[in-house]
Amino acid sequence: MLWLCLFSPVQEKHALKALAGWAGQFSSFVSFDTERWLLWLEIGASLRYFGGLPTLLEKVMEGLNALGLKAATGIAPTPEAAALLARQMHTTPVLQLDHLRQAIASLPLGALAIPPAAIGGLQASGVMTAGELLALPRDALARRWGMQLTDYLQRLLGERPDPRKPYRVPQTYYRRFDFAEPVKTVEGLLFPLRRILYELQGYLRGRDAALQALNVALRHHDHADTVLTLRTTDPQRDAVRLFALLREKLERTQLPGAVMEIRLSVAHFVAWRDTQLHLWDEAEHHDASWSDLLDKLRARLGDQAVRRLGLRDDHRPEKAWCVEDNVAAADLPPAFPDRPLWLLTPQPIQRLPRLLGKPERIEAGWWTGEDSSRDYYIAQTEEGSRWWLYREAATARWFLQGIWA
Amino acid sequence: MPPQSLISRSRTLPFSPDEIPGVWRGHELAPVKARSTGYMALDALLPGGGWPIGALTELVPLIEGIGEVDVLRTALKRLCDEKRHIVFVRPPYIPYAPALLRAGLPLPRVLWIDAAHDEDARWAAEQTLREGAAGAVLLWSPAAADRPLRRLQLAAEEGQSLAFIYRPAVTLHNSSPAALRIVLRPAPGALGVEVLKARGGRGGAVLLPVHACA
Repeated sequence: MLWLCLFSPVQEKHALKALAGWAGQFSSFVSFDTERWLLWLEIGASLRYFGGLPTLLEKVMEGLNALGLKAATGIAPTPEAAALLARQMHTTPVLQLDHLRQAIASLPLGALAIPPAAIGGLQASGVMTAGELLALPRDALARRWGMQLTDYLQRLLGERPDPRKPYRVPQTYYRRFDFAEPVKTVEGLLFPLRRILYELQGYLRGRDAALQALNVALRHHDHADTVLTLRTTDPQRDAVRLFALLREKLERTQLPGAVMEIRLSVAHFVAWRDTQLHLWDEAEHHDASWSDLLDKLRARLGDQAVRRLGLRDDHRPEKAWCVEDNVAAADLPPAFPDRPLWLLTPQPIQRLPRLLGKPERIEAGWWTGEDSSRDYYIAQTEEGSRWWLYREAATARWFLQGIWA
Repeated sequence: MPPQSLISRSRTLPFSPDEIPGVWRGHELAPVKARSTGYMALDALLPGGGWPIGALTELVPLIEGIGEVDVLRTALKRLCDEKRHIVFVRPPYIPYAPALLRAGLPLPRVLWIDAAHDEDARWAAEQTLREGAAGAVLLWSPAAADRPLRRLQLAAEEGQSLAFIYRPAVTLHNSSPAALRIVLRPAPGALGVEVLKARGGRGGAVLLPVHACA
């Protein structure tokens, strides 16, 4: 076992838990202690995957940077030793249990996680460093300062197991961010949002998952929450991309008042496929930039403005098409008659243009009680436009329903 | 002016430079990348022999319903065959799915952007062109000013797609930054195509047999 401990005395209440979620991308065993502002990652099992300790550390630091967080790190074979090194900003990793005692010997007594009374008492009797404390007989220490002290020293040196409660990644993602001061502008929301999205990215990597929808709720003092839903065409987990989309959406949102709190949640996840592989294929590359484009368009214009078309099995022309989210390849029945490119809501016409050819009888919908027996004609107006007209059998009235553009 | 020696040497060539394929000829400003329109008569009028790639083509139909979109059919179908997308931005009516299929445009390859305003529509067209994610963008816009069109022209250059803007006839009074400007007019049993302006092309007019049916 090898532990990486992050010591980050940050002020914000929900931050450490969110950081634990983020850390899931580097380790399958994450644990934290909110009282002491400590977060542990068991990295012994992840080293090979990340290609060694320096690379893993570099990635962790990059990640912390992106979050805008400063954290001291400590690496040691036991959680308490890693915590001790982190708190002392002792950056040289201690990889083996045998080297631990020597590595911490010179650290001041005050750095150890033992009761202040014990520290005071020991210092009064001339014990100033961790090394000097460890040199004392344990049974005497236990008698004088209690089992708690010797228990700690044993866990520190790995002489007894130190089971930690693992942080169980929640099945849905929820992150709250409180503002100390109400925020009045969208710009003020962007900084915490960017950070939350980086946390989310780490969480998604840890779960090997991606999302296609995320919700952002903004709490106001005296108005109902502003709620935004971001949907993406393809599974996403890239913080930069999600941020760009969310920003576009936010900048087009009218805030009814100052924002007190951000809540970001993701209810559903999908398995992540490695899109990097697809970049080799030029056609697939176009598809990747295509779905990015769709997301961008939807973020600004709204989901309903960006439309894919589908067919419906209905004889009535106005019902033979639809707007679809996921378009499957559809095909017309063989020998389907010609149709105009533009479909119009039927408009009654007064003056009948010149009709071309024979009518096409379309009868459908009678079982729904709608009598829609119609004779369709192609017609040519005097000006030279080509129209699609029909005569309603029941009323003998004429309607324009299509234009050959 | 080229040096005298070059000119005298060129006189001694045993053939005309026009006969050599790929040689840049005087009436062409620059080689233009293009896609065949599917009509030889029209290709002959256009720079590069087709709809220019990476440049804005302005289409001005004098009335609607004359085959003003149908004239693009061959080029659009070929793009779909190459798995590229076709984007309709703020068309005047619903693009009818059965008609698209009949024209050889599979529905998954078609996107309809129903923007609420012209400004949004132009933004969407610009983004789509700039990314080069689509094979062709068809935008309907009444914008009369020069600047929005210039932006689209630049975006088209960046993304190297086919870019078409449909503009109302009233805009013919204005100048246009588009590389290619075409008026479409009705003609008996045909579509009249008049190339008003063609950067690096001949220009001229031709009748095309669109609506061959009925």
